[in-house]
Amino acid sequence: MWASFLEEIPRFFTYYNGIFLLQAGARTIGLSAIGCIIGFAIGFFLAIIRISRERSFLPMRLFSINFVEFFRRVPFLVTLMLIFFVCQALKLQLSVFTVAMITVCLIASGFIAEIVRAGIESVHITQWDAAEVLNLSMAQKLRLVIVPQAWKVILPPAFSFFLSFIKDTALASQIGVIELTYAGKVFNNKGFSAILVFGTILMMYFIISYPLTRFGRWMERKLAISKH
Amino acid sequence: MQYTIHFSQVLEYIPYLIGGAWISLQIAFLAFCGGMVIGLAGAMAKTFGNRVLRAIVGAYVTFFTNTPQLVQIYFIFFGLPQFGLVLSSYEAVLVGMTLNAGAYATEIQRAGFISVRKSELEAAETMGMSLLQSVRYVILPHLARVLYPPFSNLYIIMTLGTSMAAIFGLEELTGRSFNVNARTFRSIEVFSITAGLYILVTIAASFILLYLGRWLFRVKGKVF
Repeated sequence: MWASFLEEIPRFFTYYNGIFLLQAGARTIGLSAIGCIIGFAIGFFLAIIRISRERSFLPMRLFSINFVEFFRRVPFLVTLMLIFFVCQALKLQLSVFTVAMITVCLIASGFIAEIVRAGIESVHITQWDAAEVLNLSMAQKLRLVIVPQAWKVILPPAFSFFLSFIKDTALASQIGVIELTYAGKVFNNKGFSAILVFGTILMMYFIISYPLTRFGRWMERKLAISKH
Repeated sequence: MQYTIHFSQVLEYIPYLIGGAWISLQIAFLAFCGGMVIGLAGAMAKTFGNRVLRAIVGAYVTFFTNTPQLVQIYFIFFGLPQFGLVLSSYEAVLVGMTLNAGAYATEIQRAGFISVRKSELEAAETMGMSLLQSVRYVILPHLARVLYPPFSNLYIIMTLGTSMAAIFGLEELTGRSFNVNARTFRSIEVFSITAGLYILVTIAASFILLYLGRWLFRVKGKVF
């Protein structure tokens, strides 16, 4: 077994296979990065709608609550399939990458809405009262008083959520997005041994994810110090 | 041609899907229990072990938390047979999920171990408590309160994570919805019912965990 395994290695690590793997890795990163950035924007608005106490906002609040609870409680795979088939039924000519991206955006906005809400709620209620006394509008309250204090609580979990998405997008291979996991399946189908192929894929995920984890931990420490 | 939503064909499969949800919960529960045991051993090794043991556990946790569960199970399912270790898809998924949960549980339990302060134990000793009493009245309530919320969170996440067992041909909720989809071609209806079932299952699990936590450990929390 070891002989055939060693014999495979030079055949596997060729220039073009390397290019293919790097492109797949870039797609994995791009999928989660772009999805999470758009998701952050949507999630932020959802969180603000959810905490607002205005009566006229009630339907939007209900929508926001339902949206968040739906996408947090349905597995990635099922959401992916649902959106995939809905796009098909609506006759939208979208690439599978776009479909996966839409899914990531929607799920990310659901989760990030909760993270942002927790962050905003961590700011003491008296800060809201003080802002009210200063006669600030809602947008001013958020921009000048609440968000500068809340983002230290929001950023570390939001970042670790983004990291978890780098791993979760492995499921996008199921609809045919050529990211790292799909690349692994392609190589495995070409006849390379599963140990070699999936071992390499695992290492590539690790190489992407580990520095970012360290960065996230460093950021968390840094923000924790500056809080006091 | 317009797509018309048509639930009637799918409705008869709902008991079949609910059976799948039950299997999902079972897989999540088994993997969670296994993960708790690994996590306890790992956290003890990381807190009290020597340098080699700490490094080994650290490498395990770092590796499993930084790579996707799906690829880990691919590796176990397709890779290990080359070493002569053939696992069925159920076993492969269970082993993969347990190892993955163990890595996360190690981190959670270690944080719990650290959070019990020495002064608390000293205070218990001053009160004249025996070791058993201080474990029962000081350490356990403290640990439960610190560990319960992240663990119930982990359980919910794992219930959702079982959906990837479908990729290995396991007939849990998602796997069965793939089957129904292949039989009826009512994709949107099937997957929206599946989504609804997942929501029901996780909300039920959240409520059970919440009241269990309140009753056992007086842990405060909320579902929504």
